Amino acid sequence: MIGRRHGAGFPVGMLVLVLLPLILMPIAAVFVFAFGGGPGEFLKALRTEDAQFALRFSLLIAFLTAAINAVLGTWAAYVLAKHRFRGERPLAIAINLPVAIPTVVVGTSLLLLWGPIGLFGKLLEPLGLQPMFTPAGVLLAHLFVTFPYMLGSVKPLLDELEVTYEEASYTLGAGRWQTFRYVILPALKGGLFSGTLLTFAHSLGEFGATVMVSGNLRLRTQTAPLYIFAQFEAGKVAQANAVAAVLAALSFVIFFFLLRYSGKERL
Amino acid sequence: MSIRLDQLAKSFDGQRVVKTTSLEVTDSELFVLLGASGSGKSTILRLIAGLAAPDSGRIWLHGRDVTDLQPQERGIGFVFQNYSIFRHMSVAENIEFPLKIRKVPKKEREKRREQLLDLVGLGGLGNRYSHQLSGGQQQRVALARALVHEPSVLLLDEPFGALDVKIRGQLRRNLKEIQRQLRVTAILVTHDQEEAFELADRVGLMERGELLEVGEPEALYAHPRTLFGATFLGAGTVLVGRARNGAAKLGSLSLPIPPEVEHEEDARVRVLVRPEQVALSAGAAGDEPPEGNLLGHGTIVEQSFLGALRRVRVRLPAIPGTRQASPAVYGEESLLMDAVIPAGEDPGGFEVWVSLKGWHILAPPRPRLLACDLPDEGSPAPFSLLRGFEGSLDARVSLLSVTDKVDRVQALRAAQTERAASHGLPDAEPVVRKGDPVEEIAAEQEQNLYDFLVLSMPEKGPGEILPEVLTTLSTPLLAVQGEPDSFRSILICTAVGEPGKADVRVGGWLARRLGAEVTLLHVLIDGGGPAPWVKAHLDAGLATLRGLEVTSRTVLRPARAAVQGILDEAKEGGHDLIVIGRHAASRSGGRVRRHDFSVEILAGSGKSVLIVPPGQ
Repeated sequence: MIGRRHGAGFPVGMLVLVLLPLILMPIAAVFVFAFGGGPGEFLKALRTEDAQFALRFSLLIAFLTAAINAVLGTWAAYVLAKHRFRGERPLAIAINLPVAIPTVVVGTSLLLLWGPIGLFGKLLEPLGLQPMFTPAGVLLAHLFVTFPYMLGSVKPLLDELEVTYEEASYTLGAGRWQTFRYVILPALKGGLFSGTLLTFAHSLGEFGATVMVSGNLRLRTQTAPLYIFAQFEAGKVAQANAVAAVLAALSFVIFFFLLRYSGKERL
Repeated sequence: MSIRLDQLAKSFDGQRVVKTTSLEVTDSELFVLLGASGSGKSTILRLIAGLAAPDSGRIWLHGRDVTDLQPQERGIGFVFQNYSIFRHMSVAENIEFPLKIRKVPKKEREKRREQLLDLVGLGGLGNRYSHQLSGGQQQRVALARALVHEPSVLLLDEPFGALDVKIRGQLRRNLKEIQRQLRVTAILVTHDQEEAFELADRVGLMERGELLEVGEPEALYAHPRTLFGATFLGAGTVLVGRARNGAAKLGSLSLPIPPEVEHEEDARVRVLVRPEQVALSAGAAGDEPPEGNLLGHGTIVEQSFLGALRRVRVRLPAIPGTRQASPAVYGEESLLMDAVIPAGEDPGGFEVWVSLKGWHILAPPRPRLLACDLPDEGSPAPFSLLRGFEGSLDARVSLLSVTDKVDRVQALRAAQTERAASHGLPDAEPVVRKGDPVEEIAAEQEQNLYDFLVLSMPEKGPGEILPEVLTTLSTPLLAVQGEPDSFRSILICTAVGEPGKADVRVGGWLARRLGAEVTLLHVLIDGGGPAPWVKAHLDAGLATLRGLEVTSRTVLRPARAAVQGILDEAKEGGHDLIVIGRHAASRSGGRVRRHDFSVEILAGSGKSVLIVPPGQ
């Protein structure tokens, strides 16, 4: 009761004050600088071939990553939730490891494995296959880095489903696939949705691993975040900010959907 | 026959959860499997549904062997305790689900759905979702969903377990009506005796993976065969007396044993008395007792009001030769009997005469064998003999193994179950104890009171364990040599010390069940004729054996020493089992006696020996 007398004004004000330079101002700055030269300049910066490619490439990679990991992650979650086996815990930890490892390290390790002198890379080299420094390499890195998000969104839902839920479906005449399709999958809808959005968002902004495995080749493997970084380094702040503003706006939309959807779920 | 289970068995992690079970359920019958949790009743249901696969045995539904079919191919309906209503589907979608899977046209689906909703009394609630329904309503949805595709068999696993008492009663009546109306064959699993009685056409009583008794509720209540059946279904007191001249003796009271109950003279007999069969009449101990089946005089120790009835608990002083098996009374010689009287009546004082208006005599219990399986000590369990005993003695076999490592207990139990199954004893109970073999054998016996101990004799001689076990023996011990599968000719020796009645009774009991012949031997030492008491004793023994319908004869054999006489007769007579008494004298000191009489007979004959301690 003692604290209440001052009302909420003071602590909330303090919080905003702290957050202002930390989060809110930088976000605002992106837009301020992007539109600093007026909308014309902004659109012009976006229309360059490099910027166009970087944005499209990023969206494509994010889309593919989300789609592939939606399937892989759900499958992994299903296997982990349903079966009890030796080494279950170590495996679950290993699968979640990409969250903890710095993404640059992930990139390095991918290079060591798939690069021209890497373990697999060496074998693929004579066949003319070279995943590193190609779009496939970028996709590989994104799949790796974002894998745990799907698992983390779906597995808790599966764990919550009682065993008899699936059994009930079998006794009612449904086969394995029908049970998965009509009974399990709909129960995972919320998790699938938020997991896919999270994966998409992370893929869109991925930098560390991408910079290592892509070789940052313009018009070939340069994603939007890499483009922003490259433009900044070259001193073309306006170009960088234009793409940054688009990325930020996209993130807002995704975030909005996530909030709305998970809010509805909790109802 | 709607459901037929043929020799079904199932283990989990080395634990036998369903022992070899056969059962037939007829068309449109409502069969209730009743048992405590962990008794294996739910597992049987899951085996029928195909949600678990049996280790052995077959399952037939309507004449079709479904053992190897997937659950969805069996044409069953299953109701789970936790309802398992699909949350993302409305009630209507849930009920239509089995029809949708079967590609039934939409029009027909909707029609069936409405019929089922009306049947379970949920008309108009089709658009709701499970979180908008009460537990009872959810279970009605589950029932409708399990019935909508017209399954040939309905299986219900504790369907009312999670509901409160009032709803439970309502749902029970509904279920029975619906089952009658649709004439669907159903098996319901429950731990609730009242539920079983109210619903069942027949009840199957399960205990520890075993289907103990099957019967109509009233028959099971009035005439249970087993102690478990008597005490699990309804209240009552089980008194243990002795069989004398075809009657159960409880003190001065003699209750005739019906011919269908197998019993042996002087064996223990268990008498079940239900509370409504106990009559109380007020009166002091000195007064004239009332007429008819008087058990004794006691005092009322407790009364409880049950609504229409009043339960009265009476304590009676100890009755000679009688003890109470249930309800268990600890450290008391006295007996506790429960009676029920109309709640309005007064027993009329605290001192009452107790007499019996009715009673039921239980079947004799199955003999229990504790077979020691100690391969490391050179004494593996004699499996071929145990297999024979399981059949001919209708015995329950427990297999005891002892380890000195705590962390091996679990693994050993699993290994033991497998070992028993591979030797043709799938239903043997594995018992694993940690510690010293001799001490653990004694402890296990003391805790569980087996009827026989079975220990095989190591090939190299008596070893350490057998002589040690003999020093504390309180149960007949069968020391097995060679690999017998049964015994055909039994030699009962009455040569040494005081002639033992117990030897003759235990040996005769075994002979009767194995269909063996008995030779009663007396060894005449230092020449000369038999003393008059010897002849009288042998005649009494023969009479006992004839009473058991065992072919028997007597042999008098002169010899220099008792051991020699026994060994000679065993060899010449071709007997395959020697029965000897164990006498107090050889127990003295508690030390291992190298020249123990029993050990000498074992070592000298090379045959199996049954050693009977006195007082059996």
